[in-house]
Amino acid sequence: MPLSGLQIYKLLPKTNCKDCGLPTCLAFAMKLAAKQMELAACPHVGAEAKAQLADASEPPVRLITLKPSAKIAGGRELKSGNETVLFRHEKTFINKPGMFLRVHDNEPIASIQARVAAVEAYSVRYVGMDLTLDGFAVQAEAPLDATRFASVVSAVRAASKRPMILIAPDAAVMSAGLKAIEGDNALIHGATAANYEAMAALAKQYHSALVACADTLDGLADLTNKIKAKGVDDLVLDPTSRQLGASLTRQTQIRRLALKKDFRPLGYPIIAFPGDAAPDQEALQAAQAIAKYAGFIVLERFAPEMVYPLLVLRENIYTDPQKPIQVLPGLYEINNPKPTDPVLVTTNFSITYFSVANEVEGAGLPAWLLIVDAEGMSVLTGWAAGKFDAERIAKAVKDSGVANKVTRHRLVVPGHVAVLSGELEEALSNWEIRVGPREAVDLPAFMKQVL
Amino acid sequence: MPQVEIPKDSWSGSVTTVTLGATAADGGTRSHTITVGGHKALPFMHFEQKMAHRPLIALEIKDHRPDDWSPLLLDLWGDAANDPASWAKAAESAGADALVLWLSQNGTDGKPTTPQAAVASTKAVLQASGLPLLVFAPGQAELDNALLVPISEATTGERLVLGICEDKNYRTIAATAMANGHLISTRTPMDVNLAKQLNILVRDMGIPPDRILMDPTTGGLGYGIEYGYSVMERLRLAALQGDGNTQSPMIVTPGAEAWKTKEAKVGHDVPATWGEWLERAINWETLTAMALVESGADIIVLRHPESMRRLRAAIDELMSVPA
Amino acid sequence: MADHSVHFDVTPDATALSETHPPTVRVPTGTLVTEAARLAGIDLGQPCGGQGRCGRCAVQVTGGDVRRRSTLRLKQEDVAAGYALACQSVVESDVTITIPLQEKIERRLTTERTAIEVSVPTGYSAAAQTMRRVAVQLQPADMQDQTDDWSRLQSALRRQTGIPSLSVSLPLLRRLGGILREQDWAVTAVIETDTWDHPADAARLVDLVSGHVPDHAPLWGVAIDIGTTTVSLWLVDLITGAVRAQVAEYNGQISRGEDVISRIIYSSKKNSASPLPSGEGGLIELRDLVLKTINSLLATACKRVLADPASVVKATIAGNSTMMHLLLGIPCESIRLAPFVTAVNHLPVLPATVVGLHIHPEGSVDCLPGVASYVGADISSGVLSSGLDDAEPMMLFMDVGTNGEIVLGNREFLATCACSAGPAFEGAGVQNGMRATEGAIEEVWINNDTHEPTFRVIGGGKARGVCGSGLIALLAELFLTGVIDRSGHFNMNLSSVRVRRGEHGPEYVIVWAADSQTGYDIVITHVDVDNLMRAKAAIYAGFTVLADKVGMPLEMAEQVLIGGSFGKYINVEKAVEIGLLPDRSWDSFKFLGNTSVRGAYLALLDRAARARIRDIAGRMTYIELTADNSFYEAFTSALFLPHTDLSRFPTVQAALAQNPKNLSKEE
Repeated sequence: MPLSGLQIYKLLPKTNCKDCGLPTCLAFAMKLAAKQMELAACPHVGAEAKAQLADASEPPVRLITLKPSAKIAGGRELKSGNETVLFRHEKTFINKPGMFLRVHDNEPIASIQARVAAVEAYSVRYVGMDLTLDGFAVQAEAPLDATRFASVVSAVRAASKRPMILIAPDAAVMSAGLKAIEGDNALIHGATAANYEAMAALAKQYHSALVACADTLDGLADLTNKIKAKGVDDLVLDPTSRQLGASLTRQTQIRRLALKKDFRPLGYPIIAFPGDAAPDQEALQAAQAIAKYAGFIVLERFAPEMVYPLLVLRENIYTDPQKPIQVLPGLYEINNPKPTDPVLVTTNFSITYFSVANEVEGAGLPAWLLIVDAEGMSVLTGWAAGKFDAERIAKAVKDSGVANKVTRHRLVVPGHVAVLSGELEEALSNWEIRVGPREAVDLPAFMKQVL
Repeated sequence: MPQVEIPKDSWSGSVTTVTLGATAADGGTRSHTITVGGHKALPFMHFEQKMAHRPLIALEIKDHRPDDWSPLLLDLWGDAANDPASWAKAAESAGADALVLWLSQNGTDGKPTTPQAAVASTKAVLQASGLPLLVFAPGQAELDNALLVPISEATTGERLVLGICEDKNYRTIAATAMANGHLISTRTPMDVNLAKQLNILVRDMGIPPDRILMDPTTGGLGYGIEYGYSVMERLRLAALQGDGNTQSPMIVTPGAEAWKTKEAKVGHDVPATWGEWLERAINWETLTAMALVESGADIIVLRHPESMRRLRAAIDELMSVPA
Repeated sequence: MADHSVHFDVTPDATALSETHPPTVRVPTGTLVTEAARLAGIDLGQPCGGQGRCGRCAVQVTGGDVRRRSTLRLKQEDVAAGYALACQSVVESDVTITIPLQEKIERRLTTERTAIEVSVPTGYSAAAQTMRRVAVQLQPADMQDQTDDWSRLQSALRRQTGIPSLSVSLPLLRRLGGILREQDWAVTAVIETDTWDHPADAARLVDLVSGHVPDHAPLWGVAIDIGTTTVSLWLVDLITGAVRAQVAEYNGQISRGEDVISRIIYSSKKNSASPLPSGEGGLIELRDLVLKTINSLLATACKRVLADPASVVKATIAGNSTMMHLLLGIPCESIRLAPFVTAVNHLPVLPATVVGLHIHPEGSVDCLPGVASYVGADISSGVLSSGLDDAEPMMLFMDVGTNGEIVLGNREFLATCACSAGPAFEGAGVQNGMRATEGAIEEVWINNDTHEPTFRVIGGGKARGVCGSGLIALLAELFLTGVIDRSGHFNMNLSSVRVRRGEHGPEYVIVWAADSQTGYDIVITHVDVDNLMRAKAAIYAGFTVLADKVGMPLEMAEQVLIGGSFGKYINVEKAVEIGLLPDRSWDSFKFLGNTSVRGAYLALLDRAARARIRDIAGRMTYIELTADNSFYEAFTSALFLPHTDLSRFPTVQAALAQNPKNLSKEE
């Protein structure tokens, strides 16, 4: 269980010596609780306290890192796990589940290479970020053929700089695949009660993480204990259910055991296979996996019209809800405004933006909404901190080019910053500066009655 | 082999059971009723409590052909979208569990929708289809009052859901719903506290809990859905923890949310990385809906029948967990 | 129907008893005791209009018994002792009723908290503070002893006090010879023995007068709190430690902005009227404004005790960091801009003339230390006066002003935060708001059925406006009687003429023009309601988030100590009803009045207290509320009456349950 600031404080020297760089021990304790500082910053903490604090800071879901061999220039790393909550609002989800495209070793090499190249090149822009898939899974198909598997793995590695998952039920085949990408920290799928000893040996040999597969939680816990006893710590869980309801149940139970019961045998990320579902259900299965606790997601199909919405969903669900979210500054059109419609100004704090946009849109009133870069602060906070002042508003007006889009130059500023109107009149001499209401909820009435 | 003890949450509260629509036996004209809510655990946690009522899907129709809808939708519905009665029939045969008649702000003549027209549209839909009906006004407090009061009075006993009940007009809508035997759908902008506050205000009016649905507003995929998602999870958790003002079943409108995004609505001059238009639009709608189903939605209002088909298949799977 | 006799026993001068009426009346069964009292010519106070809500009409049945419809507000032991609410009790037999003294009733009502009276710290000795007055007789100079005047004075003082050496200013040296000779080398000196910032420095001669000032004559000091909205000043006799005058006035800077942020922004403005080239015009202007307020308060206080302001030798000043910077003309832009730092937290002791205070020109000004940009000396000194820093159990201290500052802790730790509440609770920024002085409505009750108000005015005359505690009561009553809903929206469907649409939207008329001192209607508008809701929500959110961040449930705080400028009185029940204070046993609240000026007073009187404030400022952990979304979330949750999470306010829910229809009145 994570300790609260006050609990940690009680373990600290309480001298307020400031050696950690903070004004008081309590301030330091709160930073520790929020995991924003390391205990090492305090030179005076005793050994016993250290031990207690270290215990409390071990993550309930183990962090797993996959990466291609260091020989591959520009190789991409993937982290999964380290999660601390069941619901994102409790704090935040931390490491986005890795999304992998699966290829099969019985496909023609050329077609595999084409798909890998397409995924490798795929990058879609969403609110200023470039979203991509994270890697490839290669699955050995019957009849098993170690050489064929190894050659497909090599082909994928040759075409990609991303981490890999190797899927084969047989240790000899797996060994050939791993050898083909020696130096990679890959993910091995997977160990069962039948083959775990051989698979664990491979995981150790190739410094790779290992998926434990079992169709009951008892079986999974038993298996991870056995593998751990073989000296493999980096594990991933496959509860093998491929049905939506069963997956949801299992994955929820696993996360709860790890977090609420501190049950270490299931304290590992989970791998999900939406690609095993019917084609028109793959997106929905992947969506559930994103929201409900998967750490790795293996897709079957690569289609931008499915991948793009999934990447966006993943981005949304893994957004830190504690951080004020910003919207992109700029000019937004609400209800198809005409050149005669008013220009409303507010900040780029997303809650501020949404309240204004929703009110005006809901009222069916056309308007131009100019979002000023106030570093994600609300109107009052931004004003207080000097991030939403006449200078910044004037700059936003000029940068947006809104002057060319409207014929009536009316700028409505939030009522809370009525005090800025004088300066704005100076800075934007050809604009009529109007002071709007203080709250977004009063905007529709204001627009109807006053504008 | 060790036995893993599976942690089960036990909750003191539950979601209110709400029935929409009234058949002739109960003073209405619906062919059947539908019931949502009643949950005693988080969505689909059947191992704790078998989920009382599955999430249901309503299709959204309009009182006249909506010019601002995506061509994908307008082409699909074709001539049926020209009048509410034929649209209602088409939606019913597409397999909707219920219908949402969402009134337009303006009539075809460009003037604000009149109470007479709104009543006529509502009655036409009631005659054309036996499905339980939800009537949403355009979402402007004053106009909504003007349209919903006569609709409510003209359809006494039907157990319609009247929306949208907001903090600005809750008194009028709650009062007319109580007087005429209807339900209300409250709507607040993506905020747990505002949702609770409006619930308290309408309950203070004396409207019984089994006549309230709440729409927490969700945002669409890529456009703030994370707020809606977490607001719904928090509301549902609070409901199960026994907070009486969060226990209404939740109604969400991913159809409207998704289809107003550029990703769903527009097919030309968009990046190639967005992929094929129709499939992308349907994914946009179903993924928005799926996230909301996972976080506790009870009535999901969609626009495209294919999205409905896929989502229903997913809900079927979620409802039937193999032992 | 049977008649019964009701005999009234009236405690001497308890109430207005008309001599023409007999204290015994006969009334039919079912008559209310209040009605019987009226017939007997006895005026029982019923502020709540006879609704059994305020408890002010409690009487004691000393013979026979009455039927009590409601015993709300009476404890069980009260009822056992025969107490009954006159407005809720029915005569059904012959009874004797004793009417207690009004003050006695008010003392019984635990909901009303009067600020603790100021008393001199026990065991006070003038030697605990730094100003020492010494009467001394010098050996006159003669041809045998040609020692210079200054050395002569120093030697004499050294012999008498043991103070080894003294420093002195040039202006005083210029006058020295004259003063010594004026009354034959008999003089009285005022010496500053030490300062906290330079404890090893020589003592300093502050004042010298001819002749011997009697030992019991006062030696004046002042304690000052500069609030964003209100400035308070206590005139203190340093010899006895007694506070001899307390005065307060709105800060003259208000006209330049209601909150600290506006002031900071104003301070960095160029001022066309000022010849200063840089952006310091605003700063100088604000400095002059607050000095004007302080100096005028000083003059008022001194006038009251016939003292000369120039005889005040020391001023100890508390105030928030911005106010302190503005007083001293120190640029303060950095307070509002990230990373939010002050120019200085620990200020040296300064000469009065440099600061601009019109006390003794050689007097000292000691500005108390703050913690951070938004937790200033007002809070360090508030913590001192609350005793929180030395408490064993966990306590919560809140200073409700324009900024609400909250401190949680005990002798082990102190955590603090600040939230902007606005000036509403000080009666400013509200249409008919005013300070808690003569003419202010400080208590309001509204009738459930008629929506007519009854109220109490400070001084007893006609009302001029409503002060902070009155506004709290008013908001609570508007809510409980259904004039506004839980969101603070007026119910325009009510038939009362007092609820109307005014110039600024919906409003409620408390006093009609004809009955007010101003000749205008006294109203509370929906904008005022919004401001009050925001203020109370900010403060409640502040302490929930603070407790959360520290990781301690709020309930663990054993006491809630309240400071602020509401006036001398706060009705805890009303403050709980609106959700300003947490819903908990009324006994756990302690109202301390203006804790900032009280802390300054304690620091003025005692070096040890001054050192403790310094220690407090160093120990306090400041928590920035706006670092994430949690404050916003808690604020929205608190922006409701009493709170969105009703389970936090069980007694308010219970009170509402008695009148469910109020919430949904549709008349």
